[in-house]
Amino acid sequence: MSSPVQAGACVLNRREFIHSAASVGGGLLLAFGWPVGRLEAEQNIPTTRSPSAFLEIGTDGTITVTSPAVEMGQGGHTAMPMILIEELGGDWNRVQVKDAPAGVVYNNPVFHQQSTVGSFSVRGWYAELRRIGATAREMLLQAAAADWDVPAGELNAANSVISHPTSGRSCHFGSVASMAARLPVPQHPTLKSSVDFNLIGTSPRRVELSKKIDGSARYGIDVTLPNMLYAAIKMSPTLSGTLKSFDDSAAQRAAGYRATVPLPDGMIVIADSYWQARQALAQVNVEYAPGKLAGVDSPQISQILRAAFTEPGAVVRSEGDAPAVLARLPNTLEAVYEVPYLAHACMEPMNCTANIDAAGCEVWCGTQAPQGAQQAAASVLKIPIEQVRVHTQYLGGGFGRRGESDFVVQAVMAAKAVGRPVKLIWSREEDIQHDYYRPAAAIRFRAALDGEKRLSALECVVVTSSAPTRIGAGPAFYTGSIADSNYSYAVPNFRVTGLDKDLGVRFGFWRSVNESHNPFMLEGFIDEIAHHLQQDPYQFRRSLLQHGRGRRQLAVLDLAAEKAGWRNRRAGHALGIAAFEAFGSFIATVADISMKGPEIRLHRVVTAIDCGVAIHPDNIQAQLEGGMVYGLTAALRGQITLANGAVEQTNFTDYRMLTMAEMPRVECHVLPSTEAPGGIGEPGTAPIAPALANAIYAATGNRLRSLPLSSHGLTYSAQRT
Amino acid sequence: MLELQVNGKAYRVDVDPTTPLLWVLRDGLDLIGTKFGCGVGACGACTVLMDGQAMRSCVVPVSAVAGKAVTTIEGLSNDGSHPVQQAWLAESVPQCGYCQSGMMLAAVALLKHKPQPTDADIDTAMTNICRCGTYNRIRRAIHAAARRNLYV
Repeated sequence: MSSPVQAGACVLNRREFIHSAASVGGGLLLAFGWPVGRLEAEQNIPTTRSPSAFLEIGTDGTITVTSPAVEMGQGGHTAMPMILIEELGGDWNRVQVKDAPAGVVYNNPVFHQQSTVGSFSVRGWYAELRRIGATAREMLLQAAAADWDVPAGELNAANSVISHPTSGRSCHFGSVASMAARLPVPQHPTLKSSVDFNLIGTSPRRVELSKKIDGSARYGIDVTLPNMLYAAIKMSPTLSGTLKSFDDSAAQRAAGYRATVPLPDGMIVIADSYWQARQALAQVNVEYAPGKLAGVDSPQISQILRAAFTEPGAVVRSEGDAPAVLARLPNTLEAVYEVPYLAHACMEPMNCTANIDAAGCEVWCGTQAPQGAQQAAASVLKIPIEQVRVHTQYLGGGFGRRGESDFVVQAVMAAKAVGRPVKLIWSREEDIQHDYYRPAAAIRFRAALDGEKRLSALECVVVTSSAPTRIGAGPAFYTGSIADSNYSYAVPNFRVTGLDKDLGVRFGFWRSVNESHNPFMLEGFIDEIAHHLQQDPYQFRRSLLQHGRGRRQLAVLDLAAEKAGWRNRRAGHALGIAAFEAFGSFIATVADISMKGPEIRLHRVVTAIDCGVAIHPDNIQAQLEGGMVYGLTAALRGQITLANGAVEQTNFTDYRMLTMAEMPRVECHVLPSTEAPGGIGEPGTAPIAPALANAIYAATGNRLRSLPLSSHGLTYSAQRT
Repeated sequence: MLELQVNGKAYRVDVDPTTPLLWVLRDGLDLIGTKFGCGVGACGACTVLMDGQAMRSCVVPVSAVAGKAVTTIEGLSNDGSHPVQQAWLAESVPQCGYCQSGMMLAAVALLKHKPQPTDADIDTAMTNICRCGTYNRIRRAIHAAARRNLYV
């Protein structure tokens, strides 16, 4: 049983300035104001901007919540308001949700960027949104209490109705909203006890869902402005290529042609319609200087990664003395794992609409990083960021790709060139061939087993790409949960080293980020150790979790194993298991397969997760299942390969996605928990690859240490019966 | 000038007849519920119905649909009440939602042809791509719509 907690104790200083004001309609408006905290001050962010609203309660009772998380299918527009409305005691059916504009007040309280990334929205905003909701509730109650001349402590708020049980009086939020707006803002509102939650933990229909069944949801690609032109783009096939010369004389004669906009690395053609722009673009002859990736093929990338294992790297974790133990103990194991580049392939190709006017610039796009889009536009036009207004639209998939702003830069350049609004749409080919790829990565593992057949030492050398200019860069980041001191498995001598290799291929964040490669490799190697010790892989993992911080991991491991029938597998079936902590959640997955020659027949995927307080259980199910599909697709056949510095894959024809017929049965079990919320968008992506590879080993004795599985000559089918 | 019949309305459009129907729908008629995904007929985001059959509008020249009845997501119902739309809502199918117009139209075509589809029928007919991984919910929604015998 938890007791009410004081919100003030767990929030950052910069957020202790909730402002209150009358809304345009006279209702209550709560906003975050200034001064800003240390981080923003260090970044010289101007403090003159007006407060930005999070919550407005109209005199008609309408509740408008500005979501600091964008909506890309992950449920941010529902989960964020749910947290606030829970504390407010508002009527969920009166809630409207808006996307936040670009603004520092919408920076995630945990990592200080306005980015919907890293499964961080609920994790980062849980405490803040509760505090805002509780603040507004107390102000509304104060207003009603003053009106009725009774103590505020005798009033309740539920479903937007304030009631006074003693007298039987009640009123609606809307009727006291303007009075509440004139009251002082309580600085330490009392939060609800979690046992009193009646919205958190339920699964109301996601707020935008009705717009996603009738075609009315507006994505970036759907933006239409008066007087708008359309732009098509083609970039240098060689990833490092730069524009040398071009001849657009034929394009200029094409129907609807308006302008050619040469880019440093490509070409934009603008026309009256998108189809005309594409047709005209196809008639431009372009010559590129291929740059440093000329002659680079994928096998060389692999060689570079593997050659780096013996180079000195950054030691990001060192407990005990793994090198000494490895040198001393005779019973050792060594293995190298590797994964390729991957593209995101959001269903909605990259796009952005831009317009430049006397006041500055407006951009419309699906973006995970509104301030990134703002800065990108400002940098092209060399104007202050305050003069760029970003209108975030629904995202037809994000997965990390829309945290980048390359398409914003291009759209603004196009709009600048013609002095009219321009909508730029990438082709699917450009999307596949000019992504910010999940970087190729490799790990060399070494393990030493002691005389008691225990894992005494584990050494991991992680080689991948990282860039010092970006958030989350560097070995401590990409080694992720392996290097985290909370890493669940107990290993007395543990050393993790990271090595950066800039291979010249641009890379970025791909759903589950570093966990898209580390768990495949580490959970594969842990499986190898178990088999080497002739132990059951599930029981071996259990043995590594018999300590305090392993408690939550152990619980999900047990649950997944139990639900998958680890002890009573069906005849002819093989099970593979993988478990780890990621994004603040603990997850375990079991893949249930059989093999028919080279065909992996996937019967069932069983996942268990402890993601702390479950905000919207149905959405957690959807995210775990969807995340699994994203990981399964990559594990089976996902790879971006280079030939002469150019991406070989072109479209969904050769970068193939999982289909309905290939969709396995999926079970997701969510552990009841009162812990702080963990992430749910990404944890589900990572465990399927190791679970599947471990199941294949169990079935065949063949240890697969690289992805995709198709590169080992394996085929795949889903068996739902 | 081409004459089109879309969602029960007649339109006259003045475009190059080789223009894919997708771009005429989106940029000419402002029917933006039909989505661009791949441009090569590989993903199905642009699926519409032509005389009741599902087809991928990104690879169909607009001239090929003259005289045919085209149905887009906007024409499925005025108010989201089509049984397939309602099943999609009840199962909370969409995540990002970008592929779902095409998915729903493919499902409508399937159910018209096979009012009680088996899983194998669904596997064969539903070849559109969803990156969010909503396939199992789509399958459940199709079965739910079928169970209500709405097409019999």
